[in-house]
Amino acid sequence: DSHIQYERVGADVTMKCGSMDWDAAVTWTANGTDINESRLNGSYLILKNVNLSQSGQYSCYEGSSWHLKYQTSLRVGMPPKEPVLMCRSNNYPKGFYCSWHLPTPTYIPNTFNISVIHGTKDMVCEKDVIPKNRCHIRYLQLFSTVKYKVTLTVTNALGKNSTTLTFDEFAIVKPDPPESVVAKPVPNNPRRLEVSWQNPSSWPDPESFPLKFFLRYRPLILDQWQHVELSDGTSHTITDAYAGKEYIIQVAAKDNDIGTWSDWSVAVHATPWTEEPKHLTTEAQITETTSASTSSFMAPPTTKICDKGTVVGSGAVAVCWTAGLVVAAYSVLFI
Amino acid sequence: MAAADSPSTALRRRDLCSRGIRLAGKMRADVIDLLDAYVERQGLDASASVAAVEGVPLAAVERWDEQTGTQRLLENLAAYRAFRTLLAQMLEEQREQLGEADAGLGRALAAVLLQVSAFTYHLEELLRLESRGIPGEEEDGPPPPPRLSIFEQKLRGLGVLRELAQWAVRSTRDLRQLAKPSSATGTAPGLTESP
Repeated sequence: DSHIQYERVGADVTMKCGSMDWDAAVTWTANGTDINESRLNGSYLILKNVNLSQSGQYSCYEGSSWHLKYQTSLRVGMPPKEPVLMCRSNNYPKGFYCSWHLPTPTYIPNTFNISVIHGTKDMVCEKDVIPKNRCHIRYLQLFSTVKYKVTLTVTNALGKNSTTLTFDEFAIVKPDPPESVVAKPVPNNPRRLEVSWQNPSSWPDPESFPLKFFLRYRPLILDQWQHVELSDGTSHTITDAYAGKEYIIQVAAKDNDIGTWSDWSVAVHATPWTEEPKHLTTEAQITETTSASTSSFMAPPTTKICDKGTVVGSGAVAVCWTAGLVVAAYSVLFI
Repeated sequence: MAAADSPSTALRRRDLCSRGIRLAGKMRADVIDLLDAYVERQGLDASASVAAVEGVPLAAVERWDEQTGTQRLLENLAAYRAFRTLLAQMLEEQREQLGEADAGLGRALAAVLLQVSAFTYHLEELLRLESRGIPGEEEDGPPPPPRLSIFEQKLRGLGVLRELAQWAVRSTRDLRQLAKPSSATGTAPGLTESP
């Protein structure tokens, strides 16, 4: 006969060798390894203050014949703590889902039971296959002021625990983040970025239940975000970007009328358009420039020398200024 | 088979629906502010459960997405006419209980009452546009309420404002359905019913 025995961490466990008398000569094994006789009290196996590592298969054999007399699978674990329960509607007005987890593991099997009551009516929460700690409910009514009461009970061999959430229909509405966020520079516009996105695919009817959006953006080099709230449309042009700076951009969504903001979308990066600095293209131009300073320094062919008259972004201007300083320094050296 | 809308009718409906949506949005915001003030001034617990009170139209509806446009308009109209009467009663009761001591609450109630009246008119316009007969008010009016204690009046007031806030959201959704181009023709949620 094989058994399963659940014991709490820290408990003292006594195992009897089936129907054998206390004074019978027996040998106990744990996972096939003989257990020291010091652990025995007669034919009883005594395990004090058990810990998780002592889970396993325990077998008891009659002394001389080695007949297997008793076998048990010891599972050391814990009773469940209060579970963490969350309910949310990301597909309003179709329904909502609830998901749960335990704050600490029990190390033994648990069963979860969920009940949903709307007023006096019991509702069925259909368990999802994946993930298995989730179930979903279809709304039978909309616009009700009556609250929903969801109770989750977790049970295992060592105890049970439960938690209850009470909420109204509007409070748990939270869309998924917007999808396919794209940010692009605008040609010939050094301070603009064009951002577009799509409604989350889980939101079933954006035409009847439109979403509004919140855009946030900042240059990578700064910590402060700029925010824009948009009541319609799935695109926006940023017009105050710092020229030449790489930006990080995110978007969030909310039902136009009820509920809370989604999490932020995946971040996208973009840099506004900048004009390429102009080159000097002829050798004659390069020779003319260096002979005036009486130095034999010649700019290498790959150096780009800026034209002062060119309108460029602030970053490119700094580069131009630095190159000019280097040329001047070398010129002085060779006078 | 129902005839298709004329372009001018469709345009007028869209215009009425857009304005109605804005009105419902403003109304909801004001009702929510009024709810906070009402709970505080009347000494109520904001989380108190209020059982459905006779005469207060419930916003809760089953199979909302299957309703026709006409059903939406008629149910909205019946509800807001009832709220108009209920809010007038609340205003009267508030004046009797608190007098001039709380003129602010009275003014806020009066402002919401005005918006409810305006919205009712808006709904009647939409029904006229569809050449629908507008039901007489005496059919829709709630029966005279039984005499309630002051505490019961306060609780009923809480229930009225909560349901009105829900209705404002429902009305916004209803008007969006009505404003859809597809709602002008066919039998699926729209204004024209098949024979």
